[in-house]
Amino acid sequence: MISARAKESVERILRKAVQTRLPISSESDCVISAMATDTPVRHTHVVVLTISSMAFRLLLVLHFSESDAMRAYYLGERTDRALQEVFLEVSNLCCGAINQALQADFPDLGMSTPYVLDARCVPHLSELDPDYLASFEIRIGESVDLIATVCVCADAPIDFVADVDSAEESSGELELF
Amino acid sequence: MAKILVVDDSSTVRDEVAGFLQKNGLDVDTAVDGRDGLSKLKASPGIKLVISDVNMPNMDGLTMVEKIRGELANTAVNIIMLTTESSPAMKERGKAAGVKGWIVKPFKGEAVLETFRKLAG
Amino acid sequence: MEIHFIIAATSSAVTALIAWALHRWHRASTASRQGIATQAGETALNQAQARYDAMSSAHAQQVQALESQLVELREDLLNRTELADRIRQELDDATRKHAAWEQQASRIINEAVRLKGLAATFERWHEQMTSLMTQNQDMHEKNQELSSIVRHVVIVSLNASIEAARAGTAGRGFAVVASEVRALAARSEELSRSYRDSLHRNDLTTTATFQDIQAGGKMIAASLSSVEALAYQFHNTLH
Repeated sequence: MISARAKESVERILRKAVQTRLPISSESDCVISAMATDTPVRHTHVVVLTISSMAFRLLLVLHFSESDAMRAYYLGERTDRALQEVFLEVSNLCCGAINQALQADFPDLGMSTPYVLDARCVPHLSELDPDYLASFEIRIGESVDLIATVCVCADAPIDFVADVDSAEESSGELELF
Repeated sequence: MAKILVVDDSSTVRDEVAGFLQKNGLDVDTAVDGRDGLSKLKASPGIKLVISDVNMPNMDGLTMVEKIRGELANTAVNIIMLTTESSPAMKERGKAAGVKGWIVKPFKGEAVLETFRKLAG
Repeated sequence: MEIHFIIAATSSAVTALIAWALHRWHRASTASRQGIATQAGETALNQAQARYDAMSSAHAQQVQALESQLVELREDLLNRTELADRIRQELDDATRKHAAWEQQASRIINEAVRLKGLAATFERWHEQMTSLMTQNQDMHEKNQELSSIVRHVVIVSLNASIEAARAGTAGRGFAVVASEVRALAARSEELSRSYRDSLHRNDLTTTATFQDIQAGGKMIAASLSSVEALAYQFHNTLH
């Protein structure tokens, strides 16, 4: 129910969102590579977010494990903060970027708030009966390893081609009414 | 007395935004959701500018704005939304509710500092 | 003398004759002049008559033309009057429809505003969802506790087996019980693991469903705002 080019578009949108929102600064390298979805669970926790439209729902699942490397990267010197809180906000921004990119082709979209779950629930994603399920390994800088899984369940045929490259970075600007 | 109120359920965002504004000499208070924002605004009449997220538990940002203009009958305070939401429909709803401006996250403090200063009086 | 008399008589006769001829000629020419005049007069009269007749018929034709024009104009006026009546009727209808549309627009606005109250429903669902997730968390914890109890039972049964072995023949019955307990513990452990897996499945489905409702609700609220804005615009154009 999801055309090949729509799947490819979702992947492109995901890659750009991860690249522009997961790293703390644009100086960090961010390498994204595809991986099989049925590999054993590698991380301890996941952040789950949902984007809903009339025709489909898209789940973004970001796998992470609390580690010194990750704390060092995301918290820096702010050791008073909780890693989960910071990573929740980063995930929120990442999903927000996906939401914005999809708006060009799907006018009515809503996004949920993020939720943290045990990573062992990831194998159950297939029980949602998705039309598209893909996972990607992410390496930020030298030491931060994450996985991003995207899961799309379609209620109607989905076909679109995303224009990711020319999409302007308009975030951060104040639009006065 | 605080002039600016930052409303967001993420402590990361509250720290980032309030911290930046305080570093630049502004008086800032924070709230964790719409309900908290409403009660803090009611308790502090000196607040001139509210910066709020949209997606929050207990009461979302736009409902809070509608209640600020409606139940609280406060039409003077300037309200800016700071959110990942960017759909035209949502911005329209904000505009209709009496929101003054819209910023799509991530927050870039330097770009908006002067405007915030002006709006906070 | 007689010649004089004859010449005189002749001349007078000739004169008389000439006079008579002249007279006759004069009379003839007068008559013909008169005749000509009469003829001319008659011709003039005829001409006048003919002109009059022509004018008269032209006039009659004009009158006829004017009369038929008048008939046409009357018909035209009748048509225009009918048209004007129809247009007035349509204007009345349109005015009535306009009033109905204004009323309808107001009703649509009120509906949209009322539906925005859905936000309260979503808040309620959010609270219920949070309570569900808390219950899930509770089940996780209870399951963990069960797991740890089961592990403890395994250790206890192992210790029991060791004690039974130490007791020799007297401990054989006890050894059997100990190993049965260990078997039960193993099954419990397996069940607990399977239950934990179900809890994870449950967590994901519940979270996914709740997030779908939350996101869907925002989508609906945004669409309703668009509808409300459109209804306001429409209402304002009617004013």
